Order: sequence, then structure tokens, then C-alpha cells
Amino acid sequence: MKKLVVCALCAALVVPTLAVSVQADDSKELVLYTWENMFPQEVLDGFEEETGIKVVYSNFDTDENMLEKLSMAKGGDYDVVVADDYIIQTAIEEGLVEKLDTSKLSGWENINPLYQGQFYDPNDEYTAPYGAGIPLIVYDPELVDIDIKGYNDLWDASLEDSIALTANYRVLNGITNLALGQDFNDQNTDDIAKTGEKLLELAPNVRLIQDDNTQDALLNGEASVAFLYTSQVTAALQENPDLKVVYPEEGLGFGVMGMFIPSQAPDKDEAYQFMDYILQPENAAKCFDYIGYYCTNKAADSLLENQDLVVPDSVTEGSAVENISAEADEAYNKNWTEFKAACN
Amino acid sequence: MKKKKSGSVWMILPLYIFTIIFVAGPLLYMLALSFAQPKAGHGVEWTFTLANYKKILDPVYMQTFTGSFQLALTSTLIICLVGYPFGYFMAKLSDKWKKRAMIFLMLPFWVNSLIRLYGWMIILQTKGLLNHVLKSLGLIEKPLRILYSYPAIVIGMTYVLLPFMILSVYSSAEKLDWSLVEAARDLGASPFKAFWTVSFKLTLPGLLSGVILTFIPSMGLFFIADILGGNKIVLVGSLIQEQMTRGNNWPFAAALAVVLMILTTLMIMLYRKVTNAKELEGVG
Repeated sequence: MKKLVVCALCAALVVPTLAVSVQADDSKELVLYTWENMFPQEVLDGFEEETGIKVVYSNFDTDENMLEKLSMAKGGDYDVVVADDYIIQTAIEEGLVEKLDTSKLSGWENINPLYQGQFYDPNDEYTAPYGAGIPLIVYDPELVDIDIKGYNDLWDASLEDSIALTANYRVLNGITNLALGQDFNDQNTDDIAKTGEKLLELAPNVRLIQDDNTQDALLNGEASVAFLYTSQVTAALQENPDLKVVYPEEGLGFGVMGMFIPSQAPDKDEAYQFMDYILQPENAAKCFDYIGYYCTNKAADSLLENQDLVVPDSVTEGSAVENISAEADEAYNKNWTEFKAACN
Repeated sequence: MKKKKSGSVWMILPLYIFTIIFVAGPLLYMLALSFAQPKAGHGVEWTFTLANYKKILDPVYMQTFTGSFQLALTSTLIICLVGYPFGYFMAKLSDKWKKRAMIFLMLPFWVNSLIRLYGWMIILQTKGLLNHVLKSLGLIEKPLRILYSYPAIVIGMTYVLLPFMILSVYSSAEKLDWSLVEAARDLGASPFKAFWTVSFKLTLPGLLSGVILTFIPSMGLFFIADILGGNKIVLVGSLIQEQMTRGNNWPFAAALAVVLMILTTLMIMLYRKVTNAKELEGVG
């Protein structure tokens, strides 16, 4: 009797799996692998309507998680992946990413060149950017006497004890590099030592260092200048539209999210169709409005409802946070600890 | 244990297994990790090195230990000054008021400490409650910039850890035999002398355990420095946290944690030595 029950239960477990695999065979599907809430439902539905391809949305928590699963699947299982720049570099190195045939992507020309040719894909062979996070300077012109144009102005003596900073050591070291005229990702330890010295000079001006809701300090008057992440810039402007946003003249430091097709993707044709659909300006605009990251699609710029997500034409230079040598990384870490301790 | 039947071993065994897996295991892992090397990008390379410990000797990182120590000392001192009399006099209250005082003391614990700290943020900020009150009382003209400063961290530390001191002083003061104090008074000691020679000596173990209960956590309570101090003081705790997350250097974080653990263990040993001596003194 017991055996019978067990058998029946096993059978019950197997049946749905069979049913799913049968279903998968006769309708076209595409497995999209990214974080939660990266695409508005409206766009996904639109894609299904236009092409008849059903999008299966599969999500991961962290980039590292994605890489692990993708490498376990040997570049298979998933059709389109959206992830952060630095992890894409590793994925490409491990041969998990398909070289794109751009002739299949009619919207390829729409991509904003500012985000192309970046370190993780220097010849734009593997990825299409999907949104960028750009930390920017935001300040309250009523409380600040000087006209802030770039990173160097943060060192101005008039800003004593009034700057709120986000807490990413690579970004803060990076903008100090830019202020010194060095490369954002400078790996020369002598240069990094100079960066450390320059950072220490910034210490007297720092009011607080915080990663979460840094914009609050600007809004409640604790700080008059802030260096904020994209989502925080948006939040700050929503609350107080009189705040001034600065696209620093020394150039931007940013993080880009990229879209790619895994090397063994089961449905490559569908993947190309999806990518191309997202590259169309009207769809791209909906996506960027939804995720709230900077628009990486030049043709979509004018269609965005939230124009704060459009980088002005005057900005032509920017570099992303790259993977660097352990030695350089350690030196940046040390700069950062020293800097924080000096702020007190 | 040996005298008991073997059945009881089986009852205890799961507990041992649990302890070994979830306490000793991670500790050993941490120890092993502290001798490994970080891999560029992310991950760990399992080659033996002492570099992580050597790195701690770097003035930049040594400073985080001295800074943490200093902050812990300052807040513990203030907590002693406020908490000792509080606990002492609480023990002298009538039973009815003792209960009430206890409820008032425990009440804040019902709310998450992080939320309570955000409350302090609202009180201390430039446009906050404190400045508003002081200004309308005419005591200050320009708002005080307390938030994101060292005093703000000390306030937060004191606030969060004070109940531990009060409770441990209270429990030892409650056990105090007041007739001894009366005897001292009858024999001609001044109130202060009676307190100093009798009550204080007898409540010293409570005070010392309070010190341990506040000093050791305050070495690691980095989130207070983050929230109220604006992250501007680097404590060992925040350094460990940062190395684990952004810094991507687990081995270094592990080495820091091992050193911190050794330091706190030494302090606990010191405490046990001191209190044992005191107890002997009391008995003798």
C-alpha cells in the first residue's frame, strides 16, 4: 500500500514537468535573465504581441550569482541577460557571451556612443548598453556661494563641512583622479598615493558619507552639496526642483548595465528579436522611464517622460569603474580608510 | 556525564553537533580565511600568507583599533556615570515603582534600535527638534551642528548601551544587604563613607559586568557611527563590514575580526581576574 502511495506521488510530481516541456516545444519562448523589475510589463507584453514570443522572466539577486549560474549552464539556458559592466567583462573572458551580429539589430545605431567602447567590451562586439548609473554633483544654489562646475570645486574652502558623499571607494577615488587630471581607473600606485593626498584635502569639507538616502542630507539642510547616485539625484529633484545638477566638466564616472546573448543560448533568433525590440526608441524610452537609470539610447532621449535621465549633449566623456589589479585596489582601499578617518 | 546512562548522550549530541557546525565551523573558516589571499575582482585564493595580519600594523588600520578603543572607552565612562546611580537608586525604590521603572527601561527595546537611532537623527539634525527648542528658548542663535559629529556618536552609543549598565548595576544593588549599610552608619560612618566602603564595594561586580556588557559591544557597533556620525569615524566594525562588501577583501576582514576577537577575549579574561579578586576580597 505504502509503495503504491509513493509511486502515485512520484507520478504526480512528474506529470506537470512533462506538461511544461510539451508546451515549451510548440510555442516560441525566450528566457530573459536579469534583476527583478528591470523591464516594464507593458514592454514585455508588447513584445509578445508583436512577435508571438513569450518572455519567461527569470531573475537573480547579484551579478556574481548570475555568472555562477551562467557558467554552470556553460552559457546555455538563458537567451538574453542584463547585468553590470564588470561582470560582463568576466563573462566575456570565460567565453560565455555570443558575438553579436549587428546586422540583425536594426536599432543598433540608436545607442548613445558615450556608453560604447567601454572597458568590458572595447569594440562593442558583445553587448548593447541598457541604462547607466551616473553619480553627479547636486547642490542647493541658495546655500552655496560658488558656481560648481566640476569635481575640483568640491575642494573649495567655502564648502567647509557641507558636502554629503556616497560611500563607494572606487568612485570617490575615481573622481579625485579626474580632478587631478589622472585616469578614472588609474592603476599606477604612485598616482594613487597622490590621489590619497588629494582626498585628504577634501576631508574638511565633508559633512557625511553615506550610501543610503544620501539625498536626505541635502533636502533637510544638513549638507548644501551632495555627490549622489542616479536614483538619489532623481529623488532629490522630485522633492526640490530648484536644486542644481552638475555634469562635472572633468568627465563622468559611471556604471553601465549591458544586454548580451549567452554563447549557447537556446533561442538565439528570438534573443536578437528581443534585443532589437528594446533598442527601438519608443520601447527604450518606456524602459528607462521605468527603471530610472540614465538613457543609453540616443534616439529615445526626446521620448523620455523624465528628462532628468537624459545626459546633455555637452557631455562627451565618461569612463566606467573597471576591474583593476589587486595591488591598485588595495591602495584605493587604503586611501579611502585614511580619508574617512580624516573627515572626523 | 560519565555516570549518566548513554541515552542522555544522544540527547545532548544534537546540541554539540549544532554548536560545532554553526559556531566552531564559521570560526575555523574565518581563521583559515585570515591566512588566505584575496583574488583580483572577487573571491579568495587559498595560498598561505601572513600579509593580512601585517597589513593591520599599517598606521591607517591601527588607527581604527585605537579609534574604536577610544570611542568605547569614552562611551563606557559616560554610561558608568549615568547608569550606575540610575541602577543603584532604582534598587532602592518601592516594589511598585521598581516594576514601573523596569517597564520604562524595557519599553524602548520593543522598537528596533535602528529606528530609535533614526529618531535621534531627527532630534539632532540642524533643522531638528533640539535646535528648535533651544532656539525658541533663546539659548542659541545659530543652530548647533551636532549630527554627524563625534558627540553624536557618543550620544547614540550611550543611549543604546545604557540599559545594559543599569540592569546589571540594579541586579547587584538589589541583592545588597542594606543592613550592612545601616550598620556602617550606626558605627559612625558618614553617608558617603558608608556608600563608598560598603555599597559601592558590594555593587562593584555589577558595575564591572556592566562595563563588559557595554565596552565590548561598543567596539563593534559600527552602525551608530554610520548613522549618527555620518560614517566619518572608521571603527574596526565598519572596516570589517566594508572589506567584506565593497572592498572585496574577505581575508583581510577575517584577519581584522580575529584580532578584534582576541582583544575582546583578553578583556574578558582581565575582567574575570579582576572580579574574582574582588569577590575574594569581599569574602575575606
